[in-house]
Amino acid sequence: MHPRQTEQHKKGRNTVCHRICLMMSCLMLAGCGTAKDKLDASEDNLSQAEMTNETQAQTDDHTLGAAETEIAPDAAVSQDVFAMDTYMTVTGYGAGADQAVTDAIEEINRLDALLSTGQTHSEVAELNEQGGSKSLSTDTAYLFSRALDLYQDTDGVFDIAIYPIMKAWGFAGDTYQVPSETELQELLQHIDADQISFSEEERQVSFLEEGMAVDFGGIAKGYTSARIMDIFREAGLHSGVVNLGGNVQVYGTKPDGSFWKVGIQDPWDSDGYLGIVSVADQAVITSGGYERFFEQDGVTYHHIIDPDTGYPADSGLVSATVISTDGTLADGLSTTLFIMGEEKAEAYWRKHPEWFDMMLLTEDGTLYVTEGIAEQVTSSYPITIVTK
Amino acid sequence: MKKKDIILIVLVLLLAGGLFLWRQMAGAKEGAAVRVTVNGEVYGVYSLLEPQDIVIDTELGHNLLQIRDGKAVMVEADCPDGYCRQQSSIRHNHQTIVCLPHKIVAEVVGSGTSTDEQIPDVVAK
Repeated sequence: MHPRQTEQHKKGRNTVCHRICLMMSCLMLAGCGTAKDKLDASEDNLSQAEMTNETQAQTDDHTLGAAETEIAPDAAVSQDVFAMDTYMTVTGYGAGADQAVTDAIEEINRLDALLSTGQTHSEVAELNEQGGSKSLSTDTAYLFSRALDLYQDTDGVFDIAIYPIMKAWGFAGDTYQVPSETELQELLQHIDADQISFSEEERQVSFLEEGMAVDFGGIAKGYTSARIMDIFREAGLHSGVVNLGGNVQVYGTKPDGSFWKVGIQDPWDSDGYLGIVSVADQAVITSGGYERFFEQDGVTYHHIIDPDTGYPADSGLVSATVISTDGTLADGLSTTLFIMGEEKAEAYWRKHPEWFDMMLLTEDGTLYVTEGIAEQVTSSYPITIVTK
Repeated sequence: MKKKDIILIVLVLLLAGGLFLWRQMAGAKEGAAVRVTVNGEVYGVYSLLEPQDIVIDTELGHNLLQIRDGKAVMVEADCPDGYCRQQSSIRHNHQTIVCLPHKIVAEVVGSGTSTDEQIPDVVAK
């Protein structure tokens, strides 16, 4: 290399180093700001006790709202409750919201006591024990009617008689286990909602096979949120929203007249959303294998059991969301569509596009959205619009 | 100092300023706290900006909620099903972790307002 070229080369390299140093210094300055923020946050955290008290005070105010006689039209009244093996929040807006939310919580507790398979003296536990009932309550009779209709309409994919298999897997209790193939085959022979004899007029039901048992777990929370919508409607509320363990149903629009933005849990990005759907007067109910699962010998087993095989559904879907004005239907269909898989779910939707809309996320990361709701959905996943 | 150096300094300062503002804004969105309630009573409110371990020992049992990288996750629970340990980490408004047997709810609060297009009013899962 020519000496002059070497000098120029060195000079050029020095200038580059100089510039890199300059850039790094400035970027470090920017970083210092962030460090200070963290320090500030840490100081904030030191006054955690104060924060707690303040939140408590706010919560108290919130609860005490019940005693107030005048409520601003857009004031929120919110209550939460542990029921139906999950955590539920009910929020109403406007005059009458106090009483309506209290009534909603009472309704949740009433239906829990009626429908829970875990409570020995619930109506459902007793009819499972006795193999039927000759005097069903109006609610349970209604649920039998809806569940059996859905069973017929989905060619047996939605099946309330699957309860013994859920117990065999431990999903109806606390101890998960993989049942033996023999046990599953034996149970599958007796699991069929066709073997339920039901008369809606006489409110009677009987099981035609030994060892049968039903569980409304796939439909009860949707029915409960639908009942709360009735309560809100009768109370003349302007707005309301319920979240029953992840099952969402909204009443009206938000107090400011805009649509409710409902985020859908992303099965892969555990702290993110697969999308946001804007709705009014609708239930948004999602199902996915990520909700409840266990691992044994390196294999993951989730809780959505295919009644055809007795094993966790493996349909190529990772999440299925149903949007419908009918909360009971939305609840029943979300697990059903998850079991069906994309193609069958689309075919089912084309049979009943007026009943519901859906969002299906496939294993390859495509989000299939039906045309009725497509304009109300935002997502970072590539969207394929499903048309009639 | 050459003219090009001055231009470079200005550009880098602008970049640094932009980065600073971006971090500020991102921090504000995540600038949230986790409110922990036990059986409906507020147990504590904890900043998501500060890595910390929150021990929740009550007569119902023991839980450990861990905050790291702006997210909270339940890492220990001596409840029978341990279902809360399977639940996703939380960082956005209205996201919750629930331990049913111990009646614990951890919910993200104050991580922005729902007027922001990307922040939902409620989360379905």
